Amino acid sequence: MAKPKFTKDIIKLADVNATIEHLVAKLKDDVAKQLRRRGGIVGISGGIDSSVTLALTVKALGAKNVVGVMLPEKDSSDDSKAFALELASKYGVEVVEENISGALDGFGCYSRRDEAVKRVIPEFNPLVDKMKIGIPQEFLNTNLPPVFYVTVIFADGSEKSERLPMNEYLQIVAASNFKQRSRMSMLYYHAEAKHYAVIGTPNKHEVQQGFFVKYGDGGADVMPIGNLYKTQVYELARHIGVPQNIIDRIPTTDTYTAEQTQEEFFYQMPFEMMDLLWYGWENNYSPAEVAVALQKEVDEVEKVFKNFERKKKTTEYLRMPPIHNY
Amino acid sequence: MKEDIRTFISEITFVDKSTIADETKLFEEGIFDSMGLLSLITFLDEQMGVKTDDSDLTEENFQSINTIVAFLERKKSLVN
Repeated sequence: MAKPKFTKDIIKLADVNATIEHLVAKLKDDVAKQLRRRGGIVGISGGIDSSVTLALTVKALGAKNVVGVMLPEKDSSDDSKAFALELASKYGVEVVEENISGALDGFGCYSRRDEAVKRVIPEFNPLVDKMKIGIPQEFLNTNLPPVFYVTVIFADGSEKSERLPMNEYLQIVAASNFKQRSRMSMLYYHAEAKHYAVIGTPNKHEVQQGFFVKYGDGGADVMPIGNLYKTQVYELARHIGVPQNIIDRIPTTDTYTAEQTQEEFFYQMPFEMMDLLWYGWENNYSPAEVAVALQKEVDEVEKVFKNFERKKKTTEYLRMPPIHNY
Repeated sequence: MKEDIRTFISEITFVDKSTIADETKLFEEGIFDSMGLLSLITFLDEQMGVKTDDSDLTEENFQSINTIVAFLERKKSLVN
């Protein structure tokens, strides 16, 4: 069959209810027959992905067989808890709050991260200043791989950014990843204590572009929205009754002490545009055809496609299971 | 200088030195990624005494061994 012409509507779901029914039926089948578990545990952050995942899981397994686990720590946004509680109440599931700050302190998550930041920006005082890391927008327009910068927002509101040397970058990421891995450990505690499965929340971009932590948020038994573009997740959210204030939230990383959107940290473009570009690249549309439909320059689309190719390749390690065929 | 850079690239990427020509496109051909670029910046600083400024981070300066050497020579001439 010939490929359809590339248009701005190409990934719009033709029948959202049919998609929901398909995901729900498969999730029910996977949990009961493949995984042989009797319920589902969902980590809920008050974000769109975990909200849609919770809603699908409730539809698939029934509210009485689902537990929503909130996993705040001392850097979490205060809003997250209120949104997560509203969500759990809306879908009628049991909710558990597990503050993982103590575990993270024990691992040295905060101290190891802050020590690396201070080596780059010595004036940083973690008691009063905030920090985040990110990729400057201009890297999207080059064929060089991106490098990360750390930004400190001082207590007086002033900011300082510095490019991260390799060792400091790696230490900050490795220390921060304790957060996702501690959350995963706690989710599996609750799952095993009830003989439930862990229902993961990553969407297609997170899985395919490697925007997840291996054995952290990438550690789950099943990922029902793992093949959905972000705009499709929003389409589902509107149909499945996710509270409007969760739909209206701007997706954040909720990882560093300073506020940071996912676009700023990793994706470098709005989801609406990224979804279409990724679809075009993944389905072998020519940069010229995609450029016309999206009213962009061809060389800009070519650069984005190269960037996607590089991300997919360099993050393959994250998606690989352990190699044991020796 | 070229051989030092070639050896460094080979050592950190496990790519056979004989396959890294002076004109090989290090990033386009997938030899180097972000970590490779960061390692190279550290190597140039610590072993060659050349600091890479933010404005130096361009494809023109880093795409091949030849362009890296030209970049180093240009930076060194500015210091002298």
